[in-house]
Amino acid sequence: MSLDTLTRPWKAFSYGFLDASAKREMRRKILKAIAVPGCQMPYASREVPIARGWGTGGLQATLTLVNPGSVVKVIDQGADDSVNAASIRRFIARVSGAATTLDTVQATIIQSRHRVPEEKLRADQVLVLQVPNPEPLRPVEPNMSVARQMHADADYGRMWLQLYEQIVRSGRVMQGASYPSLVNGRHVMTPSPIPRWDVPKLNMAKHLTILSAGREKRLFAVPPFTRVEPLVFDDVPYRVEDHAGLTCHRSGARGVFMNEIPQEDGTSLHEVSDSQLGVKLLNGEAPGEMWYRDGVFRP
Amino acid sequence: MAYVATRGGERAIEQAERLYRAQMGEVTPARVAEIERALPSLIDRVMGEASLYAPDLAALALAQSGGDLYEALLLLRAWRSTQPRLQIAAPVTQDRMLTHRRISAAFKDIPGGQILGPTLDYSHRLLATEVVQGETFTPVPVEKAANPAPACHPSLAAWQQAQGLVAAPSLAPVDRDSIPDLTKEPLLFPAKRAHTLQSLARADTGGVLALGYSAMRGYGNAHPTVNELRLSEAEVIVRHPNGTEFSAGRVKTSQAEVVTTKGQGTLRLGFCATLGWNEVKTIAGATLDLNAPGAPKGSPVNEEFFLYHTEPVESSGFCIHFKLPHYVTFQSSLDALRDAKAQRNKTEEPA
Amino acid sequence: MERAAPRLVRAQPLLRMADVSKRYGDVVALEHVSAEVYPGEVLGIVGESGSGKSTLLRMMNLEELPDEGRYSLDLPGVPEHLFAMDGYARRMLRARHIGIVYQNPHLGLLMKNSSSGNVAERLLVAGERRFSVLREKAKQSLEASEFPLERMDAPPIELSGGMQQRVQLAKAIALEPAVLLLDEPTTGLDVSVQALVLDTLKRLQRERRITMVIVSHDLGVIRTMADRVMVMRRGRVVEAGLVDQVFQDPQAAYTQALVHAKL
Repeated sequence: MSLDTLTRPWKAFSYGFLDASAKREMRRKILKAIAVPGCQMPYASREVPIARGWGTGGLQATLTLVNPGSVVKVIDQGADDSVNAASIRRFIARVSGAATTLDTVQATIIQSRHRVPEEKLRADQVLVLQVPNPEPLRPVEPNMSVARQMHADADYGRMWLQLYEQIVRSGRVMQGASYPSLVNGRHVMTPSPIPRWDVPKLNMAKHLTILSAGREKRLFAVPPFTRVEPLVFDDVPYRVEDHAGLTCHRSGARGVFMNEIPQEDGTSLHEVSDSQLGVKLLNGEAPGEMWYRDGVFRP
Repeated sequence: MAYVATRGGERAIEQAERLYRAQMGEVTPARVAEIERALPSLIDRVMGEASLYAPDLAALALAQSGGDLYEALLLLRAWRSTQPRLQIAAPVTQDRMLTHRRISAAFKDIPGGQILGPTLDYSHRLLATEVVQGETFTPVPVEKAANPAPACHPSLAAWQQAQGLVAAPSLAPVDRDSIPDLTKEPLLFPAKRAHTLQSLARADTGGVLALGYSAMRGYGNAHPTVNELRLSEAEVIVRHPNGTEFSAGRVKTSQAEVVTTKGQGTLRLGFCATLGWNEVKTIAGATLDLNAPGAPKGSPVNEEFFLYHTEPVESSGFCIHFKLPHYVTFQSSLDALRDAKAQRNKTEEPA
Repeated sequence: MERAAPRLVRAQPLLRMADVSKRYGDVVALEHVSAEVYPGEVLGIVGESGSGKSTLLRMMNLEELPDEGRYSLDLPGVPEHLFAMDGYARRMLRARHIGIVYQNPHLGLLMKNSSSGNVAERLLVAGERRFSVLREKAKQSLEASEFPLERMDAPPIELSGGMQQRVQLAKAIALEPAVLLLDEPTTGLDVSVQALVLDTLKRLQRERRITMVIVSHDLGVIRTMADRVMVMRRGRVVEAGLVDQVFQDPQAAYTQALVHAKL
């Protein structure tokens, strides 16, 4: 018996980059986050080889979940070919050997920044959302210790007040993306800066959503079949972006979230924000089942 | 197909990285060795912020990143985060450290004496332009002292404690293996003392200086006096599996202790230490520590405020992340804005 | 100014504090202080700064806990020993049943939110989720506090001191609190403004029979507002009784000095 037979050959890092102790902590925190939906779980958050604020939280969750049989899709602002999405996808494949895909339907893990795909997710898929700021209370309470106390008390009066103020000042709720939402009737969370269009996709969904903020070291989750209710007054309904009537100038598609492309003549063109869906439609392929039909959300 | 033609992300990022690396040329072992030899202060600063004592790796990171400090730091932190924590070294006390420099501004002389050690404090900051003319700048050799200073020096605070000038710290004996480790646990507030000191030790030098300076200028309530500034080498005592303890080597450390006379009866101390020799960071860090107790939330000397905002990997990463596209969030806000404007125009129209 | 006639009091006090003591290090803030407030009455607490009167009020607001003593509010579904409740229960009780107006409006108001929003927040905490109702109730509350409604959406930071106190008052009464605590509510205001704010308070008291505790160093304010008065000094109650009785015929030497100095 020699040391050589007892040990494995030296490698620069473990499978999936993170070492076993980091993965163990992540698994525990993910389980805790699933157990208390919408509640932010602090975690150590290791440094990973991309910069903080560039998806390190999502990356740590993905690296913990990934295995050689995984099929990984990475999107940024809806696009698979966005430079940072490309960089993260390449990194995950490099350290895990997992397959990558651009197709939502094929993927087992979807790591995303600021969008939920337009094709419905299934129970066997996990959505990992990159979160820049995990604290919905930050605009009303920048101090994290105080904000934690407010969550513990379910003291969301000032959160609602913010909506009241927006209506008083501007005649409507002005919250754009990151629309604060009550999870499982208990914790207010930020759904990460996904547009309002995407928030209903998290409510009572079949898939698990993990939201992870690496820089801020907080992780939370929306388990399958969990209520996610945007904070709205009883007499002022929730409104998604007014995109239902827009037409994609490339594919002719309608009824999905669009990117606006300003034109030199002062007008705008629109294109499907979910880039791979756009490709499918252009190629005449049938997309998977969609969350929205004719611009109306169908749960 | 037009849509596919724009999907050049992968190739673009690869070429962009090549462009950056083309500026630097080859990274050779000789270049790394020269950086390590020629730039000890920079190496020390980077090792402290990386919380990884490895001069050769620090030099490599600097070479590989072309001298971008935050990039070098991220390389080292990301490397460090994958390494197992094999052991926790035995705690070291000030009077057991090999001390190169130890000064106090609080007294003219102190027990053990003021030891100036290596410093540029009293140099004339004249650029050695002769080097540009082709000459070599050769430092004048150090002369031997008639009476060499002892290797170890007592801590000044110990003398002050004996005099009843500072309150003795309430030190509960801590099992070394149960010292909290910031790299394995999240930082929560009120922070554990160990987390506070570890966080300061790996904080951004520039950031700590900026906030510490704001406290010195009057945004803090306590004016610091340097009680003791110490540059030393500490033995890393670890345990062999058979139980014997041995030194695995020495690491350079800096420590600053600042003091304020404001208080009830006794002096109050602020403390900061880091790996490597970095005087500015430890003095500024100790000033923040001194001012932290009772500081209002949101003030620069509030612990949560300065620890969060001086984390170099987090702050620099977040800063550069604003280069990432944000068009979805922008689109979402634009939608609300346009609608609000349309409503306003409607109500302003005469009925 | 018209003095409120002493009202009939019922046998059961609404607010009861018994034998409350508090020290900060060597400083005695309160020593064996007891107080009772009956439904619909106004208790005045008078004393110089450092007498402990504001500390006592903060305890009535459950912002601070004593070293010893008991506190109860005779309300359905509220536990008997309020100091023994955990922090969450204390905060919830305060939000539902206690209104407070601070001398310093920064303590009571979100200065950059709208004035109506400051009032609405109380209702939001209590679970109101209809925007139109929030709006209407905020308006009613501000109106009752004689706040000019055309400014209801201006942030307090843009308002005068007197107006800020009216916003605080509107916020405090929005949920019809069991007890309204007033901590030097008119101190620092111009004399004319002070009189107007006191008028509003008196009218509200008369119309709504709100149980109030008012703390002031100003005997005039106490005389105008209170039915009964407690005179405090160095953390103790030196004298207590009906306002007319105490001010016309003070028993304790300290009260005598206080009353004569004021006259």
